[in-house]
Amino acid sequence: MADTGEIRDLIQILLKAKKNFRIYPENNPMYQKTIDDLLNALNKPLEYTGEIPLRIKQYRILYEGEVVYENTDKDESLALFFFKDGVRELTFRQGIRRDEVEDFLQIISLDFEKDVLDDDIVTLMWEKDFRHISYVVDDTILLDDHGYEEEATREALESGGGEEEIMKAYEEAFGVERPTSINIVPLTNDDLKSIIEEIENEPTDKTMILIRTLFEMLYISESKTDFSDVVELMKKAIQYAVEHANLETPVYTVRQIRKLLDSGEFSGESAQILRGVDLFVNSSQLIRAFGEVMDSGAEFETSLIEDFSGILSKTAIPHLITILGELKNMTSRKTVISILTELGREAPGMIARGLADKRWYVVRNIIYILRQIGDRSVLEYLTRSVRHSDIRVRKEAIRALGEMGSGEVINILKDCIYDPDESIRISAVRAIGQIGTAVSRKIILEEIRSKAFREKGFTEKKEYFEALSRWPDETTIELLVEILRKSPFFKRAKHDETRAAAAFCAGIIKARKAEGALMKLRSSKNRLLREHVISALQRIKDVKV
Amino acid sequence: MSKSEILDIKESQELINQFSIIVRSSQFHDPDNVAVLNVLEKFLPRINSYIEREGLLKIDLIGEFFYLNDSRVKYPMEFLLNFDYLAREFRRREIGTISLTGALSEEEMKTFLRSFISSGYSNTPFEALDAMLEDLMNIRIERLKRVVEEGEVDRRKIVKKTYFNAVSFTKGIMTKLKAGEKVSIKRAKRIVESMVDLILSEDQLLIGMTAIKDYDDYTYHHSVNVSVLSISIGQKIGLHRKSLTELGLVALFHDIGKMNVPREILNKPTAFTEEEWKTIKRHPYWGTLAILKLKGIDRMSIQSAIVAFQHHLNFDMTGYPKIRERVDLDFYTKIVSIADQYDAMTSSRVYQRIPLPPDRALSIMMDRAGREIDPILFKFFVNMVGVYPVGSLVLLDTREMGLVYECNPIHADRPRVMVIVNSEGKKIEGKVIDLTEKDDSGRFKRSIVKTLDPNKYKVNLAEYML
Ligand SMILES: [Fe+2]
Ligand SMILES: [Fe+2]
Repeated sequence: MADTGEIRDLIQILLKAKKNFRIYPENNPMYQKTIDDLLNALNKPLEYTGEIPLRIKQYRILYEGEVVYENTDKDESLALFFFKDGVRELTFRQGIRRDEVEDFLQIISLDFEKDVLDDDIVTLMWEKDFRHISYVVDDTILLDDHGYEEEATREALESGGGEEEIMKAYEEAFGVERPTSINIVPLTNDDLKSIIEEIENEPTDKTMILIRTLFEMLYISESKTDFSDVVELMKKAIQYAVEHANLETPVYTVRQIRKLLDSGEFSGESAQILRGVDLFVNSSQLIRAFGEVMDSGAEFETSLIEDFSGILSKTAIPHLITILGELKNMTSRKTVISILTELGREAPGMIARGLADKRWYVVRNIIYILRQIGDRSVLEYLTRSVRHSDIRVRKEAIRALGEMGSGEVINILKDCIYDPDESIRISAVRAIGQIGTAVSRKIILEEIRSKAFREKGFTEKKEYFEALSRWPDETTIELLVEILRKSPFFKRAKHDETRAAAAFCAGIIKARKAEGALMKLRSSKNRLLREHVISALQRIKDVKV
Repeated sequence: MSKSEILDIKESQELINQFSIIVRSSQFHDPDNVAVLNVLEKFLPRINSYIEREGLLKIDLIGEFFYLNDSRVKYPMEFLLNFDYLAREFRRREIGTISLTGALSEEEMKTFLRSFISSGYSNTPFEALDAMLEDLMNIRIERLKRVVEEGEVDRRKIVKKTYFNAVSFTKGIMTKLKAGEKVSIKRAKRIVESMVDLILSEDQLLIGMTAIKDYDDYTYHHSVNVSVLSISIGQKIGLHRKSLTELGLVALFHDIGKMNVPREILNKPTAFTEEEWKTIKRHPYWGTLAILKLKGIDRMSIQSAIVAFQHHLNFDMTGYPKIRERVDLDFYTKIVSIADQYDAMTSSRVYQRIPLPPDRALSIMMDRAGREIDPILFKFFVNMVGVYPVGSLVLLDTREMGLVYECNPIHADRPRVMVIVNSEGKKIEGKVIDLTEKDDSGRFKRSIVKTLDPNKYKVNLAEYML
């Protein structure tokens, strides 16, 4: 027998461990230390007692008849914690392993009020099947009717025939011929194998089978209440499926319902109820669940995402935009973007509403989506985003305007080429070039010819010349040659930058007429210029061969 | 089952088996003989490492079974004869326990073997062996306890309690559901877990309880019976204990839709009208709805709902409710429906009004196997309940008549029988005999020659089993 003081201490260590397990995650050193501490505290007395049997009373724990713990607080009491689920004795045995201590602590540190709904302590311990922790439970707490056993036994005993009947059976037994017809076929290895195979092939997620069952139930529902109940359950099943990364189930359900509605089998009120599934699939609740499951790391095949987006309708757009701003995972954001792009083709205006979102990154994503859709009806909204407070948004908007816009947005873009931010200016130049109208060219030429041009940075200059390369005609080439030949005395370095950018443009358009001017600059002392000239010459020569 | 668990089971089986082999070869040779030494050489390090690891190696013989350090050692087919031999040698010497408390040297082991063999020739073998082992510090023996009968009474009590708890609980659930009250799945799990425990200990008694059909509220008993039988099939095919609980729960709820069928119809003593049948055939629909509405959607309710819906659909898609699209029946459905059909057929209260004797029910199901019933699962089922299921009324070649009381998992046609009429034709207080018992010449003492219909004579099983 162990010293009761020692057991008292052990229980305190157990209590502390229970608390620690609620605080520290597995990767925290305290978590590991807690297990070790409890294991040591158990092993000390176990070494010489072999086992520690603890009797559990409502508020007290007894060891060898002596109280080693007492607490009447309903929320705190360790005794009550075990007692209320029917545990009446808890025994730790010699040889207890570290993993058993860990599992045990994990169980008792759970929040049974909140986190564990379908299990109690006894069930969880039962599932672990501990070798060195045993318990005695009182199962009568599970029952409401304690007299049932007696009553049923009496009933069963009363209903039989008496001795006479038995004797009659015995007498007749020798007469009747009732050979048994059952032959036991011994089980073979193949039998076992085929069963194991079947078990292995069982789907772990049976939501799809449930949905198919619910459809069968729809067909045989006899009342409106039952019919709506079944439809409500379908919604819940869809929610459950999505939460468990199963998109096949909602896809199947919605398609099936659409088929049923098209077939005309259900009309009027039933059809209305069925349409409720469609609404649910596009609801904020379901879309949110979809976002959460993606963020938790679930991955989907592209074709499945396409199918899923196929069952959604434009009503899902606002909810998708909401989660777009909440998702943490890059892949999940990409998925939502691709779904929004699909859905947005039918309703670009609804996507454009996302431009008013307060989160800059959402707005940027929305502009990206609108760019992908390419519907010009939203240009007007986009022009507003050009004045967005966040540079990243503005750049995306300028880019979109460049890809989608035409003459009508040019003035807005022109304003941007004087923006204080260089990257905005560059984007604007590129966009103007992309639009490619005569006005575009005019703006670009004017800028290049302006005095201020020389002062711009090389990247920006290069952007201008790249834009200019869209018009590879005489006028352009003449301008290039003119710039290449000009050799001012002042600010030579800045001018060499302009020349390098012009050389770059000559290379792009493979302007043979500029070859002469370029040759002269081939051994320029300015490295930037020299390199661009050489590379331009190479590109021009390539064309000759 | 985890890999290490399986290894543990194998290890203990092999230890008992090798022990038997050594004792047997010592019977014919002195332990110094090469034949014995060869086995000993392998055996000794094994037990010593076991003792080193566990601190103790204790072999108990309790009833028919060996226990190694308090865990029951399963009877493996391939070692059957050796296990039987060792059990006999234990009994001959009235040994109940051999404990090895420390490592043994080869000499000590030889001394033990010589003493063990020679004690067999003594009139008081236990005392003789005990005296001979006095000098061996690490070996202790204990006498075979004659409390088997008492233990059996306790066991019956536990089984009965577990069974009736389950029925009472099921009744409670159905009543509450009907009244629209919430019910807790936690409790249901606990109830099923205690049944799983009994079935995992290969206790036949709980299956025996399913043979008693004379209850008024048969629907509740039926639910529990189907649960017990399903778990037993599951155990036979090797499902893990957690899956067994799942299966047992699903089975327990399979007929929950019957709460919507008026009691008057359910407990009607005569045949159903067509209208009444129509109502009854709605119960899978109602059950599915009830389960899902009760629990919402989760893994467990999905599984239960599927089984509640499918359990009257046959392997070949006949049955009810009528469905439009063919489905592969769920694995649990197939198990539950075998258990369901068997229990329904052998009782008078589920569908037909005249119950079938268990062996008749089996042979009808045998005919259905392959079309309406999954043939392989049915094979497992028959192997579990035996040729003569518990509750069968049988006539023996000794002119005794009795009720099949407990199946023998190894000899399907040699169950334990409770004799209720002796060979002189007198009704006696039930006496349990084992049909595997042999006489001195090695022949079976008793065999079944005929089965009778217990219902025809209103033989009340409850009188003998409860
Ligand atoms: Fe049923
Ligand atoms: Fe049933």
